Amino acid sequence: MADMSGQASGEDHKLRPFYCELNVLSRPDGSAIVTQGETAAIAGVYGPIEVKPNKIHIEKATVEGIYRPKSGLPCVSDRLCETTLQNTFEAAVLTSQYPRTLISISVQEMQDSGGLLACAINAGCLALMNSGLSMKFLVAAVHCMINKTGEVILDPDNKQLKDSCASLMFAFDNVDKNIVSSSTHGRFTEAQYQEALLRCRTASTEIFQLYRDMVKKYAPTMG
Amino acid sequence: MAAQYKTIHPVKYYRDFLAHDLRPDGRSPDKTRNVTVNVNSISTADGSSTVRIGNTTVICGIKAELGKPKPDEPECGFMVPNVELPPLCSPLFRPGPPSEEAQAMTCFVSQATSDMVDLKELCVSTDNLAWVLHIDMICLDYDGCVQDACLIALSAALRTVKLPKVEYDAETKLPSVSLDERADLHVKSSPVSTSFAVFDDEIILSDPTGEEENLSSAKLSVVTDGEVILSVHKPGGSALSETQLQDCISVAKDRANLVNELINVALSSVDR
Amino acid sequence: MPTDNRRIQGPEISTPYCVFGSSTENEDEDGCFKSTDPLSSTRKDGRALLEHRKIYMKTGVVSQAKGSAYIELNNTKVICSVFDPREIPNRVEYSQHGELFCVLKFAPFSCTTRRSHQQDAEEKELSLNLKRALEPAVCRHEFPNFQVDIYVLILESDGGSLAASITCAGLALADAHVPMYDLVTAASLGVAGDVLMKDPSEEEEKLCSQHFERSNLNHGLITVSLMGAHTQITQVWQTGSMTTTCVSESLTHLIQSCEETYPIAQRCLVKSVVDTISKKKVPEQS
Repeated sequence: MADMSGQASGEDHKLRPFYCELNVLSRPDGSAIVTQGETAAIAGVYGPIEVKPNKIHIEKATVEGIYRPKSGLPCVSDRLCETTLQNTFEAAVLTSQYPRTLISISVQEMQDSGGLLACAINAGCLALMNSGLSMKFLVAAVHCMINKTGEVILDPDNKQLKDSCASLMFAFDNVDKNIVSSSTHGRFTEAQYQEALLRCRTASTEIFQLYRDMVKKYAPTMG
Repeated sequence: MAAQYKTIHPVKYYRDFLAHDLRPDGRSPDKTRNVTVNVNSISTADGSSTVRIGNTTVICGIKAELGKPKPDEPECGFMVPNVELPPLCSPLFRPGPPSEEAQAMTCFVSQATSDMVDLKELCVSTDNLAWVLHIDMICLDYDGCVQDACLIALSAALRTVKLPKVEYDAETKLPSVSLDERADLHVKSSPVSTSFAVFDDEIILSDPTGEEENLSSAKLSVVTDGEVILSVHKPGGSALSETQLQDCISVAKDRANLVNELINVALSSVDR
Repeated sequence: MPTDNRRIQGPEISTPYCVFGSSTENEDEDGCFKSTDPLSSTRKDGRALLEHRKIYMKTGVVSQAKGSAYIELNNTKVICSVFDPREIPNRVEYSQHGELFCVLKFAPFSCTTRRSHQQDAEEKELSLNLKRALEPAVCRHEFPNFQVDIYVLILESDGGSLAASITCAGLALADAHVPMYDLVTAASLGVAGDVLMKDPSEEEEKLCSQHFERSNLNHGLITVSLMGAHTQITQVWQTGSMTTTCVSESLTHLIQSCEETYPIAQRCLVKSVVDTISKKKVPEQS
């Protein structure tokens, strides 16, 4: 249970402590739990498994993203998160390697204290790494907000989010550091968007480094 | 011959066109389709509009009703936007509850329009009575960028709503509505969404048709209101660079101005 | 009540504001028919009793569908699309005849009171009637074990929804190149006492079905669909109660209305054919 980043959460330009563990679930082919500050998500990957005939793709795998809220059934407002998760993972997995199969990634919300979607993407990506499926690239998601004075604050928690006028989430690939996903709430200007994007991109390297450490740590068990 | 070629190898068909910087429908990659807006076409609704983007057609009808505010938000009225993709609009859909795509679209539209109307203005009497605006957007023809059409339709329809004056009698606990005194809804912002499709991981097509969306490797939507960005929604797909995103944002900004002008023309042309 | 978590929900109870409404306009519900001589009186919208509303029809309105049509009778607006035949889902035994799969839906904002998103009993009944009206006209033996999907959406309803839907669906079927014996057109008629009204509006429909309940007078609505060239009735749908003489008199009027609509539908189809041919020519030249 080591704090992998070892950074204080108080400073604005730093990410909250990032902690993760792989192989937390026994049934799925790959699983991971990620906590970023108080926010936590757990992800499980099944795949490649049999696919329903109506969803089958002849030339590639079907990727299914499932998002489960903390309690109850997913409602309309969760669907946008779900499609973002699904499409992000679909881009990351080397789908042409597994034609006519299904790769199912479920993410369960454990606790939301800001930046849940980013946490969910990171958890899903780690679970995919853990499952041993071939991937085109890794993704790292970073959440940030713009406060009322127009400053960009990285990885805010719930308390800080109360003072926000916009919140943005970006997911980057580890090859070119290009933008895989972008999801925003609230109003902001183009300049603020660019600033947030750059800050998040810089921060994403930190997460990729953590991924690397994770692989090092789990390399013996991952086979 | 072209039709057969297209059926057999649609991706190659598009590549051949795009190699000449042209799309099969004659547009250049960054050109958007024509938009038409028609308002107040449904007399049974309190506000309505029909929007066409190329072939894509969305009809939006708003029904106002009176209800009790939520206990945790006693000073707020309700906006209930829902996007429907009925089987009528495309062979991709079957009858039944809304598909995931329809739900995601509903979610997208409701997020983009959440601050258009001050919900407090929809309240008649705190904790007792408030307006409920049921906003239904129904797609009649599904040919790409339906979310853009939904947003334009909602924005135009909201501006045609004229709510009657309501007074709440605290003693009888009944509202009295004077149907002849009607006032416009105060609409604060005018968000416009523009969608893009990424073809072959690099070519960005503005305002894609249904076919282009199908073949694309990524989709993104940019919602702007004047100089302000409301949303840059890119749910996965192939990765884009910053400059590509910037280009999209500037195209979206230009288009938003045009579309808003168009909505105003449509509104002023109708005697309300 | 189970909540629908696939849609955004408003408060559980909300009432249309008209219920509490007071207006300076006096609403005398049925005054317009009673005092004057019924045969010479005009209706609220200025029509004579046996005058049909003006019809607008258009085919090919939905680009994604195989065939589609839109029809407008003043404020009644209906859109319909028809798709390629597909195998009947979840069917084990072989069926000799193809099937028509009709779904009729009112848009939530189409009526004076808001309608639910789910298909209600009335919509199911109308869907069934629509199916019955169309079935005799379609050469169903030509596509055994397949079904043709017909989706009808009523965008605005101001009386004669079923008649408009049948005519619209008939046009859409023809537009989709589904083999048919004949084109189907439909018309509706309202009976209130001695008064026969062709193509009643929503208000008049209400009058016909409610006002005379307490007396023994004739009242009700009839919708008839007809194959024009064969002059064969495919379906009759009647509600209310009326004498047989009244029914047969109504039928003559209705058949006449259907026959009047028939050439309009034909012209509409011819126009769409001409348009497609002229459109096809242009790209070949360029």
